[in-house]
Amino acid sequence: MTNDHDAFLRATMGCMDLVYNLSRRLVRGREEAEDLAQDTYLAAFRAWQDHRRPRRVEPWLATICLNLARSRYRARSRRPIEVELEEGATAAGLDDPETAALASLDRAALHAAMWRLSEEQRVAITLVDLAGLSTAEAAKVMDTPRGTVLSRLHRGRRALAELLEDTIQEVER
Amino acid sequence: MSGLRMRLRRHDPERSAAEYVSGELPRRAVRWFESHLLDCEDCWREVLLGRIGRTLAEDVREPVPVGLRDRVRATVHLAGGSRRTRDIGSSGEER
Repeated sequence: MTNDHDAFLRATMGCMDLVYNLSRRLVRGREEAEDLAQDTYLAAFRAWQDHRRPRRVEPWLATICLNLARSRYRARSRRPIEVELEEGATAAGLDDPETAALASLDRAALHAAMWRLSEEQRVAITLVDLAGLSTAEAAKVMDTPRGTVLSRLHRGRRALAELLEDTIQEVER
Repeated sequence: MSGLRMRLRRHDPERSAAEYVSGELPRRAVRWFESHLLDCEDCWREVLLGRIGRTLAEDVREPVPVGLRDRVRATVHLAGGSRRTRDIGSSGEER
């Protein structure tokens, strides 16, 4: 007999990057994010054991993670912003003219900028830009129309860019 | 969406930029939108900011911490084991 947990882990462990990064944008601390990722896998496994198995694993895990965060972590995440500094971490890999200007920004600044967005914008950006879901899939995960996701996505992206626009202008001068 | 349908749709720089930057405009609409960008300051600016924002968002990706995968595997194995034990214990035989 093939163990349920082996089949589950084979199907889902490739999504750990998605689940962890989504968790990091739903709760503030790194340890709390690790706990949320672990709880997401546990809840998903219980659903798997009950034969609730998805056609596509990524949106399924993202939905579980989002629901768990909303129901269990929201109160705890209302603490003041604490940004974990990662010294020396830079925004590398930006190779077009506008964004290369931002290469000197460190990751802590980007992370802090993310947390200045509304939760809806942060989640939309994480699902589409980080997790690679389509906007239609993100709409299902967020239980909202696709047009709303497009709007949150764009306003979130724009807010991130504008938060850092002064830096761009300085480099362009 | 065709270029024609896109032209007929209300001018909405935010939505168009979001779809374009996400790579979700069909090829014909992309061709139309890219030529429109040359004449439309609003759409140009929204696309520029959208591209920068998307690049920044992608760059915030963090590697999975060492040990988390093992923790998850252990948790799932433990949960699978405890359920199996419960199932056997409650019915007197394995399900």
